[in-house]
Amino acid sequence: MEKYIRVWFALSVNSFQVFFLSRVGAILFLSGKIIRFIFYLGFLYLLVSKTRVLSGYSLWEVVLFYLTFNLIDSTTQMLFREVYRFRQMVVSGSFDLLLVKPVNVLFRVLFGGTDFLDLVTLIPFVVFIIITVSHIPYINLPGVILYILLIANALLIAVSFHIFVLSLAVLTSEIDHAIMIYRDFTSMGKIPIDVYGEPFRSFVTFIIPVGIMMSFPVKALVGLLQVESVIIALVVSTTLFLSSLLLWRYSLNTYTSASS
Amino acid sequence: MMRKYIAVSQNSFYDYLAYRLNFLLWRMRVILFMLINYFLWLAVMPNEGSIFGYSQKEILTYIMLTILINGIVLSTQTARVAEEINSGSLNGFLIRPINYFLYNVFRDLPDKCINTFFSFIELGILIFLLHPPLYIARDLGSIALFILAVICASILYFEINMILSFLGFWVNDVWAPRFLFFILVSFLAGNYFPLDIFPESIYKFLEFLPFSYLVYFPLKLFIGHGAGISVVKGFLILLFWVVALFGVMEYIWRKGLRIYTAVGQ
Repeated sequence: MEKYIRVWFALSVNSFQVFFLSRVGAILFLSGKIIRFIFYLGFLYLLVSKTRVLSGYSLWEVVLFYLTFNLIDSTTQMLFREVYRFRQMVVSGSFDLLLVKPVNVLFRVLFGGTDFLDLVTLIPFVVFIIITVSHIPYINLPGVILYILLIANALLIAVSFHIFVLSLAVLTSEIDHAIMIYRDFTSMGKIPIDVYGEPFRSFVTFIIPVGIMMSFPVKALVGLLQVESVIIALVVSTTLFLSSLLLWRYSLNTYTSASS
Repeated sequence: MMRKYIAVSQNSFYDYLAYRLNFLLWRMRVILFMLINYFLWLAVMPNEGSIFGYSQKEILTYIMLTILINGIVLSTQTARVAEEINSGSLNGFLIRPINYFLYNVFRDLPDKCINTFFSFIELGILIFLLHPPLYIARDLGSIALFILAVICASILYFEINMILSFLGFWVNDVWAPRFLFFILVSFLAGNYFPLDIFPESIYKFLEFLPFSYLVYFPLKLFIGHGAGISVVKGFLILLFWVVALFGVMEYIWRKGLRIYTAVGQ
């Protein structure tokens, strides 16, 4: 365990040093993300302040959905940045070099590029979430505990999807956009999942569990989630995680190192 | 004379056929983006009456047609220009008897045609599945103005993208400014919402930027919201940007060529 923490730290420091190589580029990327966050927040504010409610949720609750989405999305991006570069490793054959190293290769390709620069946005998100929660009545301690638990659950689902994407990259090098498709689907969780009409709502809740990832934590916090739903969320994430590990193992067994 | 450029279009088209799955996934991304917006607006708009001066029918038509506008106006291959500058492969174009701007126009055409073709199919499927209340423009004048605005917007977007790609003459990494540009375009062009829902002072400012003529202005004309002076004013500003950015594009190209060292080759 200690070895892996040291490896992760060394890789993350390397990744952070890239920032100093292209400072202007990194600052522009970061500015882009901040501008996107502010613009969309402004848009939601403009929209919901005019109509007062969105699918039964107040303005502060809608903002909380959006902030929670951003927290989960940014944490995922920060931790699993290396996944975005993985397909190229397979295509170029450099993946072979990772396979021969005495570090678990899944760990290496998942956490090999943790981007500390994203902390710049993560910390404000946490602060904004605390401020927003303070404006919502009827928040209690069990709700807060469930909220944190379901965010951890959302991160487990995110890990699973990233492992699926990695496996797909090994199985077929054709898919370039797979990780972006995952991100587009999860972006449906920017707003409460109740906004979507059927059959889309069921689809994004259970087939691609965006609802479980992004909406369930907030629903639990404001007391709108049944205990059964929490159990379903935990079962779905565990099943997805185990399935992703099985697929990863299968993909490694079929890997032929054709590019090297 | 034109045969060589038609060959460029053919090659660009075959590129698409080679990466079919990628293209289909890209289209899926466009649909997802629109669906989020569609359901969001559907949730806030009342069946009767209006919000921000738009009826439910008008706003849903606006949001659905962003798919079409994205296909015609916002699809482009010009990002490859920066790669060609940075890799040095621009040399190959400079020594050939072709106009590099025309080359890029013809490389873009299949991109626009295929994306537009698919956007029509997607719109058909979405209308069949969602049964949205839609505003059907019956006024031929509005449709003609819409088509004219779309053509001008496509030229404008081409110019802006070429200028961005020409940054490659000075910097190695143009993805970061391009990323920032896309974010600005997605909001300030009106991809998420009609720009006149902003408070008036902000809208007045946005009206003078080129972005609002890429998506918002053509769609506003289609849903029949443009009238008299506002249409004339809109087209005048749009034409000003088309002409001004053409000059800027030519100027930056000449400046860039002077310092171009074909460093990647």
